[in-house]
Amino acid sequence: MFEPQIMSFLCKWCTSAAADLAGTSRLHYAPNPVNLRVMCSSRVDPQHILYAFKEGADGVFIGGCHPGDCHYVEGNYKTLRRVTLFKRMLDDLGIDSRRLRLEWISAAEGKKYAQVMDEFTEQIRGLGPLQLNENALMKEEEKDE
Amino acid sequence: MKVHYYPGCTLKEKTTALDVSTREAMKCLDIELVEPEGWTCCGAEYPLTEEKIVGLAAPLRVLRQVREENGDFVITTCSFCYAVLKRANKAIKDDPLKHKRVNAYLRDDIKINALTKEKTTGFEDYNGEVRVLHLLEYLRDHVGYQKIRSRLKRPFGGLPVAAYYGCRLLRPAKDMDLGEPDDPRLFEEFLEAVGATPVDYPFKQECCGSYLSVSLPDAATEASYRVLRSARSNGAAAITVTCPLCFYNMDRRQDKIKEAFLDFPGLPVLFFTQILAWALGVEKTVLGLNQHAVPADDLFRDAPAPEVTL
Amino acid sequence: MKGQKKTKRIGVFVCHCGVNIAGVVDVEKVAKTLTDYPGVAFSTNYIYVCSDPGQQMIIDTIKEKKLDGIIVAACSPTLHEKTFQEAARLAGLNPYQIEIANIREQDSWVHVDKDKATKKAVKIIKAHVEKAVRNESLEPIKVEVHRRALVIGGGISGIQAALDIADHGYEVLLVEKNPSIGGKMIQLSETFPTLDCSQCIMTPKMVEASRHPRIKLLTYHEVESVSGFVGNFKVRIKKKPRYVDAVLCNLCAECEKVCPQIVPDEFNMGLSFRKAIYMPFPQAVPGTYTLDAEHCLGLNPVRCGKCKDVCEKKAISYEMQETIFEEEVGAIVVATGYDLYSMQALGEYGGEKIPDVINGLEFERILSASGPTAGIIRRPSDGKVPKSVVFVQCSGSRDTEKHNPYCSKICCMYTAKHAMLYKHRVPDGQAIVFYIDVRTGGKAFDEFYQRTIEEDKVLYIRGKVSKIFKDGDKVVVWGVDTLTGKKVEVEADMVVLAMAMVKAEGVGDLLRKLKIQTDIHGWLAEAHPKLRPVESLNAGFYLAGCAHGPKDIPEAVAQASAAAAKVGDLFAQKELSHEPTVVPVDEDKCSGCAICITMCPYQARTLDTERGVVVVNEILCEGCGACAAACPSGAAQQRNQTDDQIFSMVTAMMKG
Repeated sequence: MFEPQIMSFLCKWCTSAAADLAGTSRLHYAPNPVNLRVMCSSRVDPQHILYAFKEGADGVFIGGCHPGDCHYVEGNYKTLRRVTLFKRMLDDLGIDSRRLRLEWISAAEGKKYAQVMDEFTEQIRGLGPLQLNENALMKEEEKDE
Repeated sequence: MKVHYYPGCTLKEKTTALDVSTREAMKCLDIELVEPEGWTCCGAEYPLTEEKIVGLAAPLRVLRQVREENGDFVITTCSFCYAVLKRANKAIKDDPLKHKRVNAYLRDDIKINALTKEKTTGFEDYNGEVRVLHLLEYLRDHVGYQKIRSRLKRPFGGLPVAAYYGCRLLRPAKDMDLGEPDDPRLFEEFLEAVGATPVDYPFKQECCGSYLSVSLPDAATEASYRVLRSARSNGAAAITVTCPLCFYNMDRRQDKIKEAFLDFPGLPVLFFTQILAWALGVEKTVLGLNQHAVPADDLFRDAPAPEVTL
Repeated sequence: MKGQKKTKRIGVFVCHCGVNIAGVVDVEKVAKTLTDYPGVAFSTNYIYVCSDPGQQMIIDTIKEKKLDGIIVAACSPTLHEKTFQEAARLAGLNPYQIEIANIREQDSWVHVDKDKATKKAVKIIKAHVEKAVRNESLEPIKVEVHRRALVIGGGISGIQAALDIADHGYEVLLVEKNPSIGGKMIQLSETFPTLDCSQCIMTPKMVEASRHPRIKLLTYHEVESVSGFVGNFKVRIKKKPRYVDAVLCNLCAECEKVCPQIVPDEFNMGLSFRKAIYMPFPQAVPGTYTLDAEHCLGLNPVRCGKCKDVCEKKAISYEMQETIFEEEVGAIVVATGYDLYSMQALGEYGGEKIPDVINGLEFERILSASGPTAGIIRRPSDGKVPKSVVFVQCSGSRDTEKHNPYCSKICCMYTAKHAMLYKHRVPDGQAIVFYIDVRTGGKAFDEFYQRTIEEDKVLYIRGKVSKIFKDGDKVVVWGVDTLTGKKVEVEADMVVLAMAMVKAEGVGDLLRKLKIQTDIHGWLAEAHPKLRPVESLNAGFYLAGCAHGPKDIPEAVAQASAAAAKVGDLFAQKELSHEPTVVPVDEDKCSGCAICITMCPYQARTLDTERGVVVVNEILCEGCGACAAACPSGAAQQRNQTDDQIFSMVTAMMKG
């Protein structure tokens, strides 16, 4: 069975804490997502997302605080703006924008985190592996320093 | 200059004084009032109830006719007609569902040419293009008080007159857009322009009883009494209205008011267009003063204004 | 583009955490796999790394193997990051070279498939190794603190905050724009629920503030501008010319007698008059006269001069000028207070045109023994003692259509107080209160309100007032009694409106100068509505009193003391220490596009227009990284979470 690779960017104050809570609650979910903890979801650059797809991610997940709750006041609004626009670009680039998911998960929502991870994993499994045009990707050696 | 004018049904039946004095006054300002052909009743308040969509067809048909006759706007004097026409316009502009439904009816109207008996049908959608103006705002914004003042033949001698807006003219403020309901100036400025002295009193927008005249006459009597009493006790020699229903309640039923409230000496009720017409030089006989239950002739004199005893 | 990897020696310590991790993840295999990973000089597994022997093992290994970075693969960093940073420090390693890989909460505890969990653990740890080889050693950012505070506003909140900070041992500048401190509280007659005489409880505090050796009282001064940052503010303060020497003035009042100019008295809410040279109220602090240049006949040239002629002490000088001087402070407490919503906005209540319809502060002055009517309740129009008074709560508050949507909090209590005091002084009078709700949440508040109804027989009617107008001698109030469903009409002698509390007039300009945030109503925004109520998000600014939102005196005093305590926290530090994982600017790459500036909620970034690059005040930067993600050239990189580090972590997590 196809096992999707999922790159997960979680904000320290909310979603990463929710993931920790899912752990302390011993909730079980798919092992596909691998988490990179950032201070704020607004740290995530569209470059990082594209890079993840290039490096083998079939799906990319970003978890941030609910609007109004951002530890850094408005970071999540910036994330929302970026992701909204970027999804359009993804479609234009030939990457199904459903492979990128932005979700607001608060530190208290451990259960929601586990559910979303399972849901997203299944959704990506359904979409199948991301087929990037290998020829379009530059080879390692041809990249400039 | 010809300008579209919507009189409303009451002006043609019960209160022709308002209609006639309006026409005569406007003639003095070189304006000929033209009624849109085949106009019907605006529907009074009923078209504005939330659930009624078809009812909007009545007022909007009138406005569409104005558009068909190449008019940009239509003037009206009756507060109710003004409110209904203006708010019907807003209703279809704000709500796409109403716009769609009402136009479905309006589109299928059949128009018969009076002369040729030719039938036309399939009108274009009406989108609220025709503006609805109250005569008071038309006088202020389009004619201008300067022009009125320059045409005055008989300045009103500073007679203290209470301007009565009634409930309809200014509210709801967002829809009617004629000024701040708590501190209006529209009617007062008009009175100053024709040489009368506006009287300030707290009941200028309190209800006169309106249609309760028919269903709960005692309530209407008391409501009108309170308005008249307030105007009088603040020094008014007359009260002036724009609405034929207000006129009916306060003038035609003043005998009932005096019966119920013995201390009330009475107060003449005038249409503002009668004041305007007189001031612009129209003959007294044309003003329709014979329709008044409370005699108002004395107010229209070439001599200085009569003493007012409170 | 991958950055240059330093040849670092990273140590990997995989924790069993008993069976918590080892029961699912094959920790031995993981440790073994990492041994060969580029950058890893040492890799082992251990049963409980957080234990004392575990930590000692790490310290010893760092020293032995000369490690310059370590990964502790264990539980969530929220638990033991500090523990291991401390251990590393003891081993001589910079705390920012520690990485915690979460393979418990986010791996072993949530997955059942041991094989997959183990593979995931490897990926996670490899990613942290990639980060670790690129980590820089960092030192917390240290900044000096000027242990001196500025308090803006001399009402009860400002005075309380100033007294507390000064009692801590620090110097305080208390700036007040009016000639005297006292704010609104000094205008009140009695305060609920104790009916304490307001001036009696406040004047001792005012005097204490003026006499305190560490408080510099700057009345008739205004803040012109503030620059700098927490611990290091430079404030420019404007001293307005009083034309009277506050020290020489002996309050003989001869000047007042001869002054020809009559001005409505602001202290008495316009209900009486004062002269152009005046003392706002008898207990004013400082005790001196002030010449109001705006209402004086003329100072330049001098048109009258009578006051100067009669001044024995030669305290009056028409040559005084406005001066501006600069001060350095470390913390700023904003206590600028409130104003009442204008009655002009309530056209349906007369729009301020009816003389006998007054607001709460005017009624306070009427009640006050030192007020315009010497404490006898008289109505403004003709001085008659009103026999029927209507009190209207929620005037301009709780109104989502036209006025203010919020509740002004104090009106229910002060209306009960007003009605009670009225009945005490006019026992045969009738007091009616129109209310929507009666909110009496404080200590002894509800009992006070019940007394008003039961003992003082004040009539409470639940319903909004729709119209107030004058009818002859009376003021007519139209309301409704919703509990019976009937219209109520009252012919009153006087009406007191509980007008909404709004932001202080003119405060918007000041707040713009301070660059601190307010909410949509103009109230100061706190850092967190629940947990940080007395600080602004702007470091170094603290909030006290009604400037933050409607509140009563006990709350204002509590908040002022809390703000002072926070200032004390700040000043107690030898120097300010700030997390160094901020986002500096690589000036070689910065094009001065200034996009990052718009991203920052802390105003930490500014554009140096001369050099065309962005400059970061690291002490203000909170390290969220929003600017780094937005920077088109990559000039803005977060320390120890650079794009390069993120890319390399992603590769490890996807391909590892």
